[in-house]
Amino acid sequence: MRLAVNGLLTSLLCVSAAIPTFAADNVTFSDDERTSIISHGPWPPKVSLDPSNRVSGNKSAIAFGRELFRSRFLSASRQHSCITCHKPNAAYADGLALSSGVTKVDRNTISLANLRLNRWYGWDGGSDNLWAQSIRPILDARELNATPALIAKRLRNDPPFSRGYQSSFKTSPNAHDDEQVLVNVGKALAAYQETVVTPRTIFDDFRDALARKETKQAKPYPETAKRGLKIFIGKGKCGLCHQGPNFTNGEFDNAGVRYFKPSGGIDKGRFGGIQKLKKSPYTLLGRFNDDPKNSLGVATRHVARSHQSWGQFRVPSLRNVLRTAPYMHDGSLAILKDVVQHYSTLNEERLHLDGGGLLRRLDLTDIEIDELVAFLETL
Amino acid sequence: MQKTVTRFIVGLAVAGFSATGNTADLPLVDAHIHYSHDAWEGLPPAKAVALLRKAGLKRAFVSSSSDKGTQLLYKVAPDIIVPVLRPYRKRGELGSWMHDDSVIKMLETRLAANKYAGIGEFHAYGDDVNTNVLRRVISLAKQYGIFLHSHSDAAVIDGIFKQNPDARVIWAHSGFTDPAEIRSMLKKYKNLWSDLAFRDEHATDGKVDKAWRKLFQEFPKRFMIGTDTFAPERWFYVIEHATWSREWLKDLPTSLAENIAWRNAMTLADWALKSKAVNN
Repeated sequence: MRLAVNGLLTSLLCVSAAIPTFAADNVTFSDDERTSIISHGPWPPKVSLDPSNRVSGNKSAIAFGRELFRSRFLSASRQHSCITCHKPNAAYADGLALSSGVTKVDRNTISLANLRLNRWYGWDGGSDNLWAQSIRPILDARELNATPALIAKRLRNDPPFSRGYQSSFKTSPNAHDDEQVLVNVGKALAAYQETVVTPRTIFDDFRDALARKETKQAKPYPETAKRGLKIFIGKGKCGLCHQGPNFTNGEFDNAGVRYFKPSGGIDKGRFGGIQKLKKSPYTLLGRFNDDPKNSLGVATRHVARSHQSWGQFRVPSLRNVLRTAPYMHDGSLAILKDVVQHYSTLNEERLHLDGGGLLRRLDLTDIEIDELVAFLETL
Repeated sequence: MQKTVTRFIVGLAVAGFSATGNTADLPLVDAHIHYSHDAWEGLPPAKAVALLRKAGLKRAFVSSSSDKGTQLLYKVAPDIIVPVLRPYRKRGELGSWMHDDSVIKMLETRLAANKYAGIGEFHAYGDDVNTNVLRRVISLAKQYGIFLHSHSDAAVIDGIFKQNPDARVIWAHSGFTDPAEIRSMLKKYKNLWSDLAFRDEHATDGKVDKAWRKLFQEFPKRFMIGTDTFAPERWFYVIEHATWSREWLKDLPTSLAENIAWRNAMTLADWALKSKAVNN
């Protein structure tokens, strides 16, 4: 892993030689910078169906999943639903520092969008597929607090939901055992969530114009955002982690945020996520994976805890980031400017830089902070 | 205090670290613990020591920013804490301490007042070893007959032994370098030990890597384990780290496993602490 990271760093350092430049109004970008910017598109990217979920892309399952997502049917008390925390009008998050279902949870609600691009799910990567991640809050006593038996019983006794199940899976829920019913509920929820994709933004228009070398089309993109973009791909080295069209490498890092739980004790982050993954019956290595080739299970088989994974959390996508406040795994940073300031004044001694960590204190000026925020707001 | 330290020294000699042949309850000495101000603010000394005991640690080499943290722990548990003097008064001095001459006075004062097994863990690279402050650190370790715990590249290790060929040095994190360079350094310096803190390349799923196994077998008396509680939250990793260490140590012959688990670190602590008078 360290070799891979070092290789990445080396290649990034080697591309710094600026030769020809592409002018987009007053701010100019070198060919290397242009290449870097273009790597953050196109958007939306082409995605394939999830081979581990036989109803991925299935219209009936998407409709069934949408109803399940909005219904309080999955909550033991019938008081909560997926949209309690993942509100469609709030970027599928809730705007709160910490999630709250039956009781308060110790983590911030992750915005649900562009999920087919993930390899791992949740702040700790405790799931390796979207249907398992959808089952997790159903069974979590702090969230929906249900059981496989309860979900199966309700579904079998509720004609509209039973029909939705039958239509999606071509089998009556009466023909499946409780756990299979629960897994299929997760798969229908996943099929629906896969359809939530963030729209194109003015950054995407700028990026595409840059790719086509069309100065005129690139011009409407704000100058301040361009300067912020220059920091993002240059001095800030933000793209080391926030890579590609979805602005994430899909992995985990220690961002220097405290990880004591608000309720007491420690949030192990990725370390705990891998522990959960290894024990879960709902992974790509388990019997509920619908992919006979198990083409995606290699990472799950080989992922291992390390000293570094203690206190690491997901590198989140920056798509739609303006709408997903507050930020970080514990929602401890209220606005985007707080996040940029956090990285600007990062306490490096919390990170053990010699152990392979990528983050460095950015020491940005106030103007640079505003410019970087202006760029992020265009995503 | 004198009585306490005497008891501690006697305790070291008769600690009963018997070779049980069963690594499930293998005693461990953790050679890389910090208890800095942000740790003691959230985790009081008694609770911190309770975590060390729960991990099954028989000793812990503790150094802190500032040294107050180490003293707080030592006061609560002299039977388990091996005090090491860190040349930092607070977080943020990691890259500047060697250029700050006021560090010398601080070290001299504390060494005169308290009992320490070593000076460190300090961070230094390349020519840092020739700064006034680091030169004085090396001479103070010689004067007091204690070890150095150096987070550094090979150049600093070379520089330390150049200034004092008889120095005893723990190379923190085994220099974050590969087995070939570690082997070369251990061959070059008979008084160099290597801690494995924040390293996990040497073992996966309880199996020791082939190249590292060869290195451990070649230098059975030179390696020791360590957690490195560089952030307060990592105190809660001490137990996980102990469990993980016992898992991979099981993959080694019993005698070698015990050496790395506790005997090598204890030998060094014994050398540093035995028959030393206490000045306060």
